[in-house]
Amino acid sequence: MKPRIIIISLTSCSGCISTLISLDIFPQFLERTKIIHFPFILDVEKIEDCDIALVEGCISEDSEIGLLKEVRKHAKKVYALGTCAAYGGILSLSNSRNIKPISTYIEIDGIIPGCPPPSKLLGNILIRLIENKDTILSEKVLCSSCPLRGNMEENLDADIIKINPNPDEIVLGEENLDCFLKRGILCLGPITREGCESKCIKLGLPCEGCMGPVSKDFTSNIINFLSLVSLSEDLKNYEGIFYRFSKPKLRR
Amino acid sequence: MIVLLKIVDVCTRVEGHGTVKILVQNDEISSVDFEIGSNRGFESFLIGKKLNDVPKIVSRICGLCYASQTIASCKAIENMFEIAVPEQSILLRYLLLFGELIKSHTMHFFFQSLPDLFQIFEISQKPFSPYELIRYDSQLTTNVYELIKIGNEIERIFGGRSVHLITPIPGGLIYLPSRKNISIARKYFQRAIINLEWIIEKFIDVFSNHVPPKEYDLPNVMYLGLNNFDNFDRYRGTLKIKENERNSIEFAEKNYSSYFEKDINLRGIDFHFDKSKRFLVGPISRYKITENYEIDNINTYLEYFDKSWQNGVLFANFLRLLEMYFESQQGLKILDEPVLNRRIILPSLTSLKNSEGVGVIEAPRGMLLHHYYVDDNSLIKKAKIFIPTEINISIINDIITKFAQELYNKTGDINLVKKKIQTVIRAFDPCISCVAH
Repeated sequence: MKPRIIIISLTSCSGCISTLISLDIFPQFLERTKIIHFPFILDVEKIEDCDIALVEGCISEDSEIGLLKEVRKHAKKVYALGTCAAYGGILSLSNSRNIKPISTYIEIDGIIPGCPPPSKLLGNILIRLIENKDTILSEKVLCSSCPLRGNMEENLDADIIKINPNPDEIVLGEENLDCFLKRGILCLGPITREGCESKCIKLGLPCEGCMGPVSKDFTSNIINFLSLVSLSEDLKNYEGIFYRFSKPKLRR
Repeated sequence: MIVLLKIVDVCTRVEGHGTVKILVQNDEISSVDFEIGSNRGFESFLIGKKLNDVPKIVSRICGLCYASQTIASCKAIENMFEIAVPEQSILLRYLLLFGELIKSHTMHFFFQSLPDLFQIFEISQKPFSPYELIRYDSQLTTNVYELIKIGNEIERIFGGRSVHLITPIPGGLIYLPSRKNISIARKYFQRAIINLEWIIEKFIDVFSNHVPPKEYDLPNVMYLGLNNFDNFDRYRGTLKIKENERNSIEFAEKNYSSYFEKDINLRGIDFHFDKSKRFLVGPISRYKITENYEIDNINTYLEYFDKSWQNGVLFANFLRLLEMYFESQQGLKILDEPVLNRRIILPSLTSLKNSEGVGVIEAPRGMLLHHYYVDDNSLIKKAKIFIPTEINISIINDIITKFAQELYNKTGDINLVKKKIQTVIRAFDPCISCVAH
């Protein structure tokens, strides 16, 4: 029997779903599964029993909670597809909307993080899911596989003055570049899950944390991190650096 | 007694969450509205942000129009600094816009519009499911899948990843010249041209001798789009509003507010014209304001479609194929430019010249404009983002209301009405995420 699949979007940009549809393995995914609900490409509106549900987007309106719970009720496994579903995502920047990751309302069986999830990671997890195998995510931080790792210092005491290099400071293809933090540029590698193949870093830009945190206690990780670096006054007052893709659990 | 009945139907096979609201009064349809949920608030949470932080945030407005959003944002910021973006960066930005368009148009064509076209022209009684669709013609499926992959790979090679690009930044585009990448990209565009010729010819073969139903005709509209001396161009040029062959206006993007404006607290864009005028953006407008594509094949392909096609919204489905074809050819030309092989240093963004800036792009769905204002600390004070689908909603509502009223009078079948008006909405390829920015 082919596994039955539901794919829904809550508050999102559709980027995870467009990444999914454009995967090399998507035609294979279609052949090996039976999609029973996927409004992006399918007219069926009913939610029925399924083996795997993929949920894209965060909860930003009460009306979405009902749909999410309905999906949970009918699905053997529910996976959060992308950083919005897993951690809240980019709308964490919003002060006016109270956004939540889906795990606030339902129990989930796994996450596929990233904004959007890296194609390789997503493809591998999907194949394992349809083969009814366990999925594994790395629990290491991005620094552990960083190409600039060789030049990182254990006892970092860096003065951080900016969140991005100036365009004229970006150099590519050179050996022995210093770690961003050493150059005074904020990089969230130390508190972000690996798995993105360090794409931004290889292109001369620091990590902005789109893969989300490794540990559940993200806030204490940030506090630990801040004890290793000192932020300029300008950055201390700048909102949405650490909580760009996820909101702290306790706020106000 | 007046009986008021409100019927709401969820739109499927479109990007994002849209609904159709039909008001039935005394057994007659009084109005039909295509409705989109509330905004996510990007314009408000951009306030206080540093300029170089903005493009990657606005990319997240849309997972289909990410390149357009990012590049329009970069252009608005560069306008404030009055810096000259290196030609190499501009050419690479074109490639990213091409890759995005190929992916977005192909997904829409195959999964969203093709099942409707089969039904409208009575080739199939019910819409194909994705499973029926991939089995309909294996060559078509292969070609479509290659195109999606090509779009993706172009983004990955020049943008760093396939969605929410890394390389476009205010000032230019991060790029390490690689002859190998150029040669791979060339093969992709060459392949895209072959696949698109096949799909275009197939489209002509299957559909061109059918006459589109009158219900899909466009009313008299004003076409709005970016245009470069009458040539098709989605990055450089001036804005043009064209009513007909005799009546058109051209203006620089920075002067847009003489012609249209928005209130960020309200949905919709106001045009400073007679209220009865409707404005259209997207492939049909680009076609109407382009005098010449300078590719012989395109004119030959266009000749297969008479006025009955050219006056209707279904024609956009064919134009999307032609746009991909045109841009794949342009992509090949750009890849031959020697400037792509040079290592350059991007300009420094140090002294802000203006406290506001405007950037415009033709996104896959039409004109996209960003307007930012900064405070004394160079932080965003106000942001206005003009979304193409927001412009098209008035026309969509006009057409679906008329369509629904006539169909309901004739059949009394509200379920049929719900199904049919969605085919109109889908032909416009609305981007709901962008509207709900």
